[in-house]
Amino acid sequence: MTQRKTFLLLLPAGVLLVVFLAIPYVSVFISAFRVPGQGTPYGDGYTLANFTRILGDWFYLGQAVNTMLIGAVTTLATLVIGLPVAFQLARPDLKLRGLFYGIVLSPLLVGIVIRSYGWTILLGNNGVINRTLRGWGWIDGPLPLMYNTLGIVIALTHVFLPFMILPIMAAVQGIDPSVASAARSLGARRPTVIRRVLLPLAMPGIQSGCILVFVLALSSYVTPALIGGLRVKTTAVTVVDAMIDTFQWPFGAALALTLSVLGGASVLIFARLTRMKWK
Amino acid sequence: MGRNILNIYCLAVYAFLLAPIFVVVGASFNAGEFLTFPPQGLSLRWYFTFFENEVFLRAIGTSLWIAAVATVFSVVIGTMAAIYYVNFAGRYKEAVRVAALSPLLLPEILTAIALLFFLYDIGIGTKTMFGLLVGHVLMTLPFVFMNVSASLESYDTDWSMAARSLGARPWTRFRRIMLPLIKPGMIGGALFSFVISFDIFTISLLLKSIGTATLPIQLFDYLKTNYTPEAAAVSTLSIVATITVVVIVEKVIGLKMHKF
Repeated sequence: MTQRKTFLLLLPAGVLLVVFLAIPYVSVFISAFRVPGQGTPYGDGYTLANFTRILGDWFYLGQAVNTMLIGAVTTLATLVIGLPVAFQLARPDLKLRGLFYGIVLSPLLVGIVIRSYGWTILLGNNGVINRTLRGWGWIDGPLPLMYNTLGIVIALTHVFLPFMILPIMAAVQGIDPSVASAARSLGARRPTVIRRVLLPLAMPGIQSGCILVFVLALSSYVTPALIGGLRVKTTAVTVVDAMIDTFQWPFGAALALTLSVLGGASVLIFARLTRMKWK
Repeated sequence: MGRNILNIYCLAVYAFLLAPIFVVVGASFNAGEFLTFPPQGLSLRWYFTFFENEVFLRAIGTSLWIAAVATVFSVVIGTMAAIYYVNFAGRYKEAVRVAALSPLLLPEILTAIALLFFLYDIGIGTKTMFGLLVGHVLMTLPFVFMNVSASLESYDTDWSMAARSLGARPWTRFRRIMLPLIKPGMIGGALFSFVISFDIFTISLLLKSIGTATLPIQLFDYLKTNYTPEAAAVSTLSIVATITVVVIVEKVIGLKMHKF
């Protein structure tokens, strides 16, 4: 086939990505500087007011910082919880491997609304956890697990755990088993082998898992909205409120852009830091 | 010793992963008015309530329709792009890959807002389902692309050359040689695409037109104001349906999970 003809294969995807992704991103960047409209999504003319409103108000800044912290803690929690599981699943001789793999994948098949709903049943003041503990006489009043940052982090950790486990598992599976046995035959103990050999080799998987979970957690809406309720709002929840409830499109766009830039910068810093440390 | 601790730890994590799914399913069989777990008496009453609730039924219909149409578009567009990527992209390979995966790399909430502005600017707005469909095709495209390009990696261009030298035309070469090889990737990609589309939330929330709420949106809306076990019944049916489809596809053609 000629060069021109093969290019036709790329054409539909190219048109889709340019017209409905690249151009909209240009338009959202411009629209974040538009003046708010009355009865319309935006008015005529441009302004910096949307951004000065965000940067000049501790409410929005504090919320953004809190959202980033939720993202960071969630990432750390999924890493700590998921790392041993990823190593276990990567072992080819593991019994019932298919079953465990299915369990790790299962949250992805269940749907984010349903999973968050499950957590509201578990974490609520009259939820499974609180009633069980009260039944055992361990607590008098309900533990505050919902409508706060803790509840959001617990549920987000669950929701995004597969995105941490799968990339690490893929990286560990790529490690030649003889590398570990070589280290052991040279006298390294198990913890040393893990710390000095296996973890550095699994690092690419750890890095992509961390970035994936952090970005997903930052922009997630359903889980913080259901678990946080009206009391704790993340930036993504405020963005959606601005778009749908109060109909302030330019402000919503500015807020979403600010969050994305903060998130992108964190990812770059993370990539730079981890690469320096491990190379 | 160390291995036993690891196994117990992993079992605890699996329990953590299954816990919320388990309580939703359990709560759906509640006989009482309110959502409790363990359920107060077993009953299927909330399933019957759901089957009479047109709002949920319509939402499921909308979700299935969008997922089906978006998947068809995604599979065709994504497969074409994957074939170009593996066989013809040459030095632009990395650029094509990043572009095809970009809907996955960009924050969904910003993509949703960007599309909303764009659709409003060109005068389409959210009056029709067009925007919703475009959003779903965008978000599912990377999964088809990943699956098909992974299955193409084993494809040897020499086979196509051999067929060509034997007189096979391009369409025949595609149908008889490439298609059988990439079929598992296409089916896997279609399955992923369908499941992902069924679960898309933020894009659907911002781009839906009046009366086109998908199931996740309808469920979310319901949960904001209602605490009856009906939502659990809807969720359980949705879980059972998804897992059934995935298991059938897995048994019939076998799925390979490709790395991110």
